[in-house]
Amino acid sequence: MIKLHKLSVRFGKKKVLQNLSFEIEGHLTIVGANGSGKSTLAKCLAGLNSYSGTIEIQNINAAKIPAKERAKLLCYIPTKLEVYDAFITVEEFVLLGRFPHKESLFDYSQKDREIVRTMMEFLKITHLAKQQIGELSSGEQQLTLIAQALTQQSKIIIFDEPTANLDPKNSKIIAQHIKELQKSHTVILITHDLHLAAFIGSQILFLDDTTAALYGDEFFDDDVLERLYGVAFHALAVKYA
Amino acid sequence: MLKNILWLVLVVLFFISPFMGAVDLSLEQILKHNSMNATIFYDLRLPRVLFAFFAGTILSLSGLLFQTLFRNALMTPYTLGISSGAVLGAGIAIKLGLSTLVFGIGAISIFGFFGALLTVFLLIYLAQFIRSSGEEALLLLGIALSLFYTSVLMVVFYLGSAIQNDMLIRFTMGSLSVIGWKYPIGVAVVGILLALFIYRYKFELQLLSISQDQAKLKGVDTKRVTLILLVVSSLAIGVLVSISGPIGFVGLIVPHIIQKLYPSNVSRRIIKTALFGGLFLVACDTLSRTLQTQSELPIGIITAIIGGPFFIYLIISNAKK
Repeated sequence: MIKLHKLSVRFGKKKVLQNLSFEIEGHLTIVGANGSGKSTLAKCLAGLNSYSGTIEIQNINAAKIPAKERAKLLCYIPTKLEVYDAFITVEEFVLLGRFPHKESLFDYSQKDREIVRTMMEFLKITHLAKQQIGELSSGEQQLTLIAQALTQQSKIIIFDEPTANLDPKNSKIIAQHIKELQKSHTVILITHDLHLAAFIGSQILFLDDTTAALYGDEFFDDDVLERLYGVAFHALAVKYA
Repeated sequence: MLKNILWLVLVVLFFISPFMGAVDLSLEQILKHNSMNATIFYDLRLPRVLFAFFAGTILSLSGLLFQTLFRNALMTPYTLGISSGAVLGAGIAIKLGLSTLVFGIGAISIFGFFGALLTVFLLIYLAQFIRSSGEEALLLLGIALSLFYTSVLMVVFYLGSAIQNDMLIRFTMGSLSVIGWKYPIGVAVVGILLALFIYRYKFELQLLSISQDQAKLKGVDTKRVTLILLVVSSLAIGVLVSISGPIGFVGLIVPHIIQKLYPSNVSRRIIKTALFGGLFLVACDTLSRTLQTQSELPIGIITAIIGGPFFIYLIISNAKK
């Protein structure tokens, strides 16, 4: 479904990703050390970063997909929402997920609004509808972002460290939602949280400065983890179940 | 409540404004045909109020647009040097003694218009070299351009004759005084077109007001949309400033007041900003005509006296965030 060929990214003189090539079908979890290029890779997929090499999504060169079509195909959820104009309400923000589908120049359709209502109910954030986005807690913000992503109705959802700012309770809620979403969407998850990675149970892509390697369940073996991360591990418990 | 009183005061001022000035007029006087007072009312005051209203609309909407596109409360055509570009263009035309009309428009206006437009393209061109330094760098670039234009204008002053310099000084102070309906109607058309244009892009602006990334992720061609909106609003500013001279700070103050009064998403503030901007400048203009009985104060001075302290307040309140 997603095919990378010789993907390289540089920030000035610094090489962040080098000649990365792989093919994945279905869900993927990307893990690795700080600065290994996980987020950069996700942003390349989402069209937020420029790169050399090619990315194919469903056999189409991603660079050639028009912005709106890409938005219908794929959705990226950042760790934290950076907002300049924080006055927009949760409901209005979720409605923006319908932007790529909007047919009229001047307004959203009744159907668009219906989808927003359904998704907000599904994520249990209907009570936040009239709140301004700048007033939300990290957990509420992450749920709002997910609601917007679901409203966007794209096949692929990329989560960029969704639990990084969350307390254990909210982490668990988000983790369960991600697991649930795997049934209807292709989920690409970027995380430092190995418990979350184990719970989600997708194929693993381990990134570090020099290599990128794909793993299955064998990744969670203590010896493998110790070799990859350079610190000792003792039987990773699956805490989100 | 406070909101409603503010609107009410501005609307009342709008309606009594044409009756106020160096000569106070009454309803009775203006109904007499062919009287001096009727001429003042219909050929000077009414067109002036219309001109002031749409000048305020254009300045405020451009301010809102620039602040949203660059996600910075200090961005306006004035702070970015676009108004100064127009002044320099007009200054050069005055110095060259150009007074010919092209399609009924004075050479001074045409030079002013291209001064504004060239500045926008210069900013867009230079912006690509500072992309990684963010929006603050662009603001500094605008300030640098402004300072540069001012020094070039000083050279023009130095070389100019007393009569030319008098014209030039008056132009740089900004003025809403117009004779007849040609310019007011022109500016009104431009103002309405600008408002419609911004309204057409309200959802794109909503996304851009959150962040550049959000807009891209939802399928907005951010480069194209930003460029279109910048060029269109600079055209409007160019038209206005080439007639009125620079009127500073309105684009800075009005969008901010509306944001404080109505803390809602940007698309809900477009129409309010346009209306409030128009009424605000009519109020400032009324003040400029009535503060002094001998002659009127240039409007640019009134807005700068209100706007200067406000600018400082904005910088400090931004720093506190």
